[in-house]
Amino acid sequence: MRIELTAGVHLNVIPTTKFKTTRIAVHFLAPADADQYAARTLLTSVLETASAAYPTQAALSAELETLFGANFGIGVGKEGGMHRVSATLDLVADGLAQAPLLAAGFDFLREVLTRPLTVAGRFDAAVFTRERANLIDYLNSLDEDRQTQASLALQALYFDAPSQKAPSFGTVAGLEAVTEAGLWATYQAMLSQDQVEIVVLGDVNPAAVTALASGLGLAPRNPAEAPYAIDQTPSALRRGTDAVSVNQAKLDLGYHTPVALYGADYYATVVAVELFGGSPLSLLFTNVREKASKAYYASAVLDPFRHFVQVQTGIDPADATEVEGLIAAQLARVVAGEFSDDLLQRIKDGLTNGRLIAYDAPRFLARQALLHALIPTHQEGYDAFASGVAAVTREDVQRVAAGLDLHAVYLLTSKEGN
Amino acid sequence: MATTYPEVGEVLHDVTLANGLRVLIVPKPDYHETYALFAVNYGGIDVRYVPLGESEMVEDPAGIAHFLEHKLFEKADHDAFDLFGATGASSNAFTGATSTAYLFSTSQQVATNLTTLLDFVQDPYFTEQTVAKEKGIIGQEIQMYQDTPGWRLYYGLLGNLYPTHPVAQDVTGSLSSIAQITPTALHRAYRTFYQPSNMTLTVVGNVDPQATLDLITANQAAKTFAPATPIQRGVAEDCGVADILPYRALSLPVARPKAAVAIKGQRPVGDDLAGTRFQVAVRLLLEMLFGDSSPLYQDWYDRGLIDDSFDCDYQAARTFNFVTFACDTADPQALSDALVAVIAKGADQELDPARFARLKQAGLGKYYQGMNALDSMANQLSAQSFASVNAFEMAQVMRDVTLDDLYQAAGALFDLAAVTVCHVHPEAQA
Repeated sequence: MRIELTAGVHLNVIPTTKFKTTRIAVHFLAPADADQYAARTLLTSVLETASAAYPTQAALSAELETLFGANFGIGVGKEGGMHRVSATLDLVADGLAQAPLLAAGFDFLREVLTRPLTVAGRFDAAVFTRERANLIDYLNSLDEDRQTQASLALQALYFDAPSQKAPSFGTVAGLEAVTEAGLWATYQAMLSQDQVEIVVLGDVNPAAVTALASGLGLAPRNPAEAPYAIDQTPSALRRGTDAVSVNQAKLDLGYHTPVALYGADYYATVVAVELFGGSPLSLLFTNVREKASKAYYASAVLDPFRHFVQVQTGIDPADATEVEGLIAAQLARVVAGEFSDDLLQRIKDGLTNGRLIAYDAPRFLARQALLHALIPTHQEGYDAFASGVAAVTREDVQRVAAGLDLHAVYLLTSKEGN
Repeated sequence: MATTYPEVGEVLHDVTLANGLRVLIVPKPDYHETYALFAVNYGGIDVRYVPLGESEMVEDPAGIAHFLEHKLFEKADHDAFDLFGATGASSNAFTGATSTAYLFSTSQQVATNLTTLLDFVQDPYFTEQTVAKEKGIIGQEIQMYQDTPGWRLYYGLLGNLYPTHPVAQDVTGSLSSIAQITPTALHRAYRTFYQPSNMTLTVVGNVDPQATLDLITANQAAKTFAPATPIQRGVAEDCGVADILPYRALSLPVARPKAAVAIKGQRPVGDDLAGTRFQVAVRLLLEMLFGDSSPLYQDWYDRGLIDDSFDCDYQAARTFNFVTFACDTADPQALSDALVAVIAKGADQELDPARFARLKQAGLGKYYQGMNALDSMANQLSAQSFASVNAFEMAQVMRDVTLDDLYQAAGALFDLAAVTVCHVHPEAQA
């Protein structure tokens, strides 16, 4: 159920008695602009640290404790060509808590999102300075997770557009450039101009939720739009290598797929990528990891918003060339149809089984509501997914796999290994 | 056998079969998923024991429980992964310090998958060839952990606290220890620890409890097991402080230095009601003193001593218990000094009763939230399945804990003689 609260601000309510919790998510969406990523990310830190009503982190945490240990966080992400800032609050269901937590939760969100701690029309300077320094430290420490480091490097190698090259949370250089005035401007723009989608899931009354969500006081707006789907035309194969102090190397590959987001061959691509490397039954897992014993992990994932398929592996540095060949061989087998009907069916069963289970999770259900609100071609229910997957044939899988075009190869290897 | 827990709104069917296997079933008819965990009271620390039918203590290579977990999936002509996969189910397994668990999750063909789970875990198949190949895969896993600075710090800390106890060894073992694993050693450990009386089966989901129990009972009755035999474990409780190494510095490829402090528990913590209550009290104590609504946290955060990466934790299990603190920080010495200063006060802490009441309520709220997802509920039930207090009884334990329990916990744990400090510095750039 999607309700327009005011121009550019929508509420999506999913009433259900299944869960012990109520979930409130407030999403702010703006066209992806790499120059704004760092500021929007810093904004999440500043907002979740200090508000007029809860001026210290201790006061804010104490309020969450009063709300029966509610889980709260603000994060960022990309939905293709759009950048998203999301505030999420998970509350114990009112019935279980024997308390009106939903109303209190909306009060809390209104305070945090619309009444930050300010001094003379700016964010508190001490909060700004400390949170920016902490975020810079955090971004600098991301390379301690080598899998993340390699994945981000592959995306930087693969994409041309700055908004897609950069991670959704920005860069250290971007953060260093954020000023107090700039952050305030970013905040004002987000609050007054972004498309807003509010999702509420739980044992709730839609009319009551509508009144509570209206109480957030978000003004009407005419949001800027950008395409959700990003389709970068492939150019020549790009290669990148970094040598660092590691024992295990990471070999990541980026492929382009021509298939449109939720378009005609969408389900065929979902099945093809799952068969290639999406599950423990996949060719990458069984042949590269299990049979050849050449990787601790080897997997493929589809990013349908960006026409992008990413393969990630963790390997012995000495095996990089051999593993790249093994990966190419597995994709060639999908293209050539060298897989049994039985395996194809098991891959499809695994997809539908996993999908059905996902409907047991509030996070997934709330995410589906958001996607449904944003993308006209998105199909919300399980049945659409199941029938879409069921209709995929062996020939469909081969055809869409043949359309995968290797575009970038990134190797994070050891200093000693080469 | 069926007990209703109105506070969490769940019914638990708890039955121990003739062969000693404990079965826990929670029906969740409005969910699509069924999630099952087959757990063994055997983990990374269990490297010393008297093998079943023998009389002499043996010592296994580190990492054998985890190796066994990997190898059980592989059979002469198939892989158990594929049997689950054939129905669309997903399966996995994990090994901890004191337990190993095998699991599946599915929305269909629960009976088939339950049979697969019971059968593959209870039908070991190890050959020289398959054991040799597994060393390649696990070797890669070990390398991956070695590249994780947080992992290195954690085991550095445990190495200081437990110089002679296997909890300080990585659950996966080392490249040299797994090289020593043989099919014979795997069989010996298997027949000793994988007795039904040393195992539990937890099933949570869209199932009929009686039909599920009947299926499990029939499956077990059709198999032959050696008589249930108490296990003679050789790894003793380690609560001594005399051999603690007080300090370690590591040089690793990190962007920022890290500081970690740990406190070794000096008395055994049982898995009975008293022990469970003590554990709950310790966790609340840590939240009171170091949680993000505490005055101390605010002060340290404002001073830049800590950031969001600050974490404290309490682990209590068979033969060991310890508290850990860790954080990225520009000045590791200053942070560890500050932590040590709090510990030095022992039971002389300032604990605000109003905040205690609020934190108890918040703790209960987090507990309810943790019971939302079936995998989380099943994991909590399974984790408590070798103890006498089940996961649904934890709510009452949390309600019963008093402020006095927290002071006693502080008095029992906070002792400078039981403390170790570990610092990680960025390695010099080449």
